[in-house]
Amino acid sequence: MATTPTATRTDVPTRLAARTVEATKVYGSGPTAVMALDAVTVGFEAGRFTAIMGPSGSGKSTLMHCVAGLDTVTEGRVLLGDVDLGTLGDRELTLLRRDRVGFVFQAFNLVPTLTAEENITLPDRLAGRRTDPDRLAEVVATMGLGDRLAHRPSELSGGQQQRVAVARALVRRPDIVFADEPTGNLDSRSSGEILQLLRRAVDELGQTVVMVTHDPRAAAVADSVVFLADGRIVGRDDDPTTASVVERTSSLGG
Amino acid sequence: MLFLTLREMRAHARRLAGASLAVVLGVAFLTGTLVLGSTLRSNFDDLFADAVAGQDVVVRSETLMEMDSPRGLIDLSLVERVAAVDGVARAEPEVSGIGQLLGSDGEPIGGMGPPQLAGSWTEDPELNAFRLAEGRAPERSGEAVVDRSTLERGDLAIGDTTTLLTPEPVEVTIVGVATFGDRDGMAGVTFTGLTLEDAMAHLTGSADGVSSIAVRAEEGVSPDELAERLDAVLPGGVEAVTGEALADEQVDEIADTFLDMMLAMLTTFAGIALLVATFSIYNTFSILVAQRTRQVALLRAIGAGRGQVLRTVVLEALVVGLVAAAVGLVGGLGVAALLTALFDLAGFALPTGGMVVTASTVVTGLVVGVATTLVAAAAPAVRATRVAPLAALRDAAVERTTPSRARAVAGAAVLATGVGLTLAAATSEGGSVTVAGVGAVLTVVSAVVLGPVVARRAVSVLGAPVARLRGVPGGLARQNAVRNPRRTAATASALMVGVAVVTLFTVFASSLEASLEDTLDRTLASDLVVNDGAWGGGGFSPALADEVAALDEVEVATGLGTGEVRVDGDVKSVSVADPAELARVADLGVTAGSLADVGDGRIAVADDTASSHGWAVGDTVEVTFVDGRTEELAIAATYEADDLTGGYLLPRDVWEPHALQSTDRMVLVDVADGVDLDEAKAAVTEVADRFGGPNVEDREEFTATMTAGVDMMIGVVYALLALAVVIALMGIANTLSLAVHERSRELGLLRAVGTTRAQLRSAVRWESVVLAVFGAAGGIALGVFLGWALVETVSAATGGLGSFALPTGSLAVVLVAGALAGALASVRPARRAARLDVLTAIAAP
Repeated sequence: MATTPTATRTDVPTRLAARTVEATKVYGSGPTAVMALDAVTVGFEAGRFTAIMGPSGSGKSTLMHCVAGLDTVTEGRVLLGDVDLGTLGDRELTLLRRDRVGFVFQAFNLVPTLTAEENITLPDRLAGRRTDPDRLAEVVATMGLGDRLAHRPSELSGGQQQRVAVARALVRRPDIVFADEPTGNLDSRSSGEILQLLRRAVDELGQTVVMVTHDPRAAAVADSVVFLADGRIVGRDDDPTTASVVERTSSLGG
Repeated sequence: MLFLTLREMRAHARRLAGASLAVVLGVAFLTGTLVLGSTLRSNFDDLFADAVAGQDVVVRSETLMEMDSPRGLIDLSLVERVAAVDGVARAEPEVSGIGQLLGSDGEPIGGMGPPQLAGSWTEDPELNAFRLAEGRAPERSGEAVVDRSTLERGDLAIGDTTTLLTPEPVEVTIVGVATFGDRDGMAGVTFTGLTLEDAMAHLTGSADGVSSIAVRAEEGVSPDELAERLDAVLPGGVEAVTGEALADEQVDEIADTFLDMMLAMLTTFAGIALLVATFSIYNTFSILVAQRTRQVALLRAIGAGRGQVLRTVVLEALVVGLVAAAVGLVGGLGVAALLTALFDLAGFALPTGGMVVTASTVVTGLVVGVATTLVAAAAPAVRATRVAPLAALRDAAVERTTPSRARAVAGAAVLATGVGLTLAAATSEGGSVTVAGVGAVLTVVSAVVLGPVVARRAVSVLGAPVARLRGVPGGLARQNAVRNPRRTAATASALMVGVAVVTLFTVFASSLEASLEDTLDRTLASDLVVNDGAWGGGGFSPALADEVAALDEVEVATGLGTGEVRVDGDVKSVSVADPAELARVADLGVTAGSLADVGDGRIAVADDTASSHGWAVGDTVEVTFVDGRTEELAIAATYEADDLTGGYLLPRDVWEPHALQSTDRMVLVDVADGVDLDEAKAAVTEVADRFGGPNVEDREEFTATMTAGVDMMIGVVYALLALAVVIALMGIANTLSLAVHERSRELGLLRAVGTTRAQLRSAVRWESVVLAVFGAAGGIALGVFLGWALVETVSAATGGLGSFALPTGSLAVVLVAGALAGALASVRPARRAARLDVLTAIAAP
């Protein structure tokens, strides 16, 4: 893999919600060092749904963590909008995550002692703000959670829990929403629901979504798919279907 | 973030309750002590205010030895002079002294704390704190009025005749029953009221001296003003004080001599309990934070700042501390009642009355409770802020389990300093107790710091036999005990501190007893000792020694009394004896001069006393007696063994002319050759019985009596320390419960692959035992070292307390008790582990 194809289409001038420039991430040092990202340059366009795919150990989660400000790169730059994350301290990173980024994780997404509504409004509470009731209603309606707001996570199904997590990620109108294997723990019906909700978040609410997944059917819901292997970008599919993604991944040996 | 904290706390209320209990108990003990203090103080206030209620002014001698010993006498003729002063409505002479009344069984009534008083019965009802409830006042010689509670305790009634030891036996007939105000008695004090003439004859040994003059002012004359007027007409050496000032003075005396010391001791133990509680809370919060790692990480990922995370934990600690301290405050009332009962049981009668809870008690309890919790939770709270947001995405909970190198280095440095200072103080000549104290504290700190460093190896070794003998559960127990050395050490540290203090006291007490036995062995040459008991008996008449000496069965019998004098202005305790006779039954180890020369204005002093004052045989010492007179006394001998006689030995002919009431505390008896010891003992007992029945003991019994005081003290100390140990054990139970909860999946897996419930229970139980033994063994090692250092330092500093004795038996009991207690602490967590449902456990997220 001598060439590193850039994922950014230079021919279409699109606003980028986030991008990396020659981002390298090395874990450990000396002979045991592992290079998780190898000079990755990639951009995520605003208002679009991007999936990151790759086999286990390809660096897809690391890439997402670095772009989301959860982890730092060893070399290169990461920009969220115009902000270079490398210049930020813990406090600024925290505020950035709180105000400009939304997260949906694979599991353990909700605080078990809080109700669904309290979980959704938690980022606002952390910021010491009141959640805009109109926005809350809009997100809750989109996620179909109207009758579940007073329930605790333990009283919700896996799919419902994940919808609450998506609602929480969206409620503050983040610049970008990161979803880390959001369907990994769900049955196929719930998976389909969550993917459609993320799709609607992009189409109807105008959000930017970046999703890490290893499920080709999930990736097919996205606008484009970025393929990673051994810490490098190895391809891009701007019109993904389940078949095209499967073909691409099997060629990567994933 | 408050809502989140509160929600979390409600969800984990049970876990927090375990930790709070430690604070509850600690605060309860502290507030119990404070409540007891203010209650006693207020009761004593009332008592002494009542005692001088009608006395506006009291005229008394200025001469004073110690606060609680009788003053010198004033001349009876002063009564007329006082009565003549303008504004005096009534002036009455009063005589008071020590008088033990014998009950119907021939034994003295009361003792053990409150004094046994006798005095003149004051005729004017307003000047007399006692009130005549039945019968009449004493009119003729040999008649007495006694307070009702004393009569009840001695099974006596009006018309009975009994003996009053002043200490000469005086036959009295009870003609009246008195009450103290409307109470039956004065808080355990026994009071026998005689006619003034009887009181003067028996209690002062003086024909014209009285203890004081009680004065009632005329209407419209203030006590202060009257005291001033009286002072103007009184001769030198006599003063007039208002009744109010007198009451205050007496309360202060009690506070200085008894209350403050008792409260300081209780507060120390409350402090130890709270210290132990700190470990328990620290551990609980550490585990809660560790278990909440993923949640904290989630919060951090969605935008919670470090400060916010810190605040949630601190807030939690604050609420726990507040609630626990509040509950502890209420519990404190119970503790105060319990402590009163404990002291009652030990034989100290304390004045009773309603509980007094002051604002400062409440504030102190709350502040200490909250502060303890916050301090303990501080480190876990800071640790929580270090949780990386990424931890939410990883499976494993992130808790640092292995101690850092920095900890090992710092711990070793503190240990070296602490042990070094302690050793220096213990081994040097005249070692400083302060240095030893600092060294001891540093040593304890280093033990806590180094705990995690040594925990893995130590627990591994301790657990080895368990693993070998108990099969799979034993192996699991051992591994579980070492898997998180930091937690293991923190859990065991609480027990270690408690056990270390227990051990320290045990070692100190056994050394004290050993030294005492050793000294008595060397000094005492007599076969029998007549002894009025180790605890504040009233003494007995010197005539007892004479009568015993006159027995055919007895070769030598000589009395030993005690008293107080002032030397260079300081009050000193002195022994009074016939030195030549004493030398025949005791070996004082005379180093210079001869005891035979003591007497006729010459005294003997101990070597230590002599060297600290720079005296030698032939020097003269200026001694002031209770009657205000001063004598120049020459030193005729110095002696080494001062355990029996103390620093000063005065011959009777020097002491008697100044004494109010002459008493002996001990008679040393040498049985005549060829007389059976039991026979002699029976003969001496017969004599002793006529003098209020002091104990007649052979050497062994006497040694036991002398060390009984130490035993009793150590008993009280154990009772007080039990609380700290209970808190430590609750800490172990709490930690295990949390660990079981944390290991649900693992335990479920073990059950799934065929581990029986009994095996699981066994594993938890043995883990607890290993933990407890680790803590107890560490505590014993620490306690033995510090105990040794304390004994050596005190010996070097005071010259007393020679031998260090290792009470191996008691320490083995402590270790076994620790192991058993560990098993006890494991009961609930073990049951919970065994009850886990296999499927639920494995499914647990």
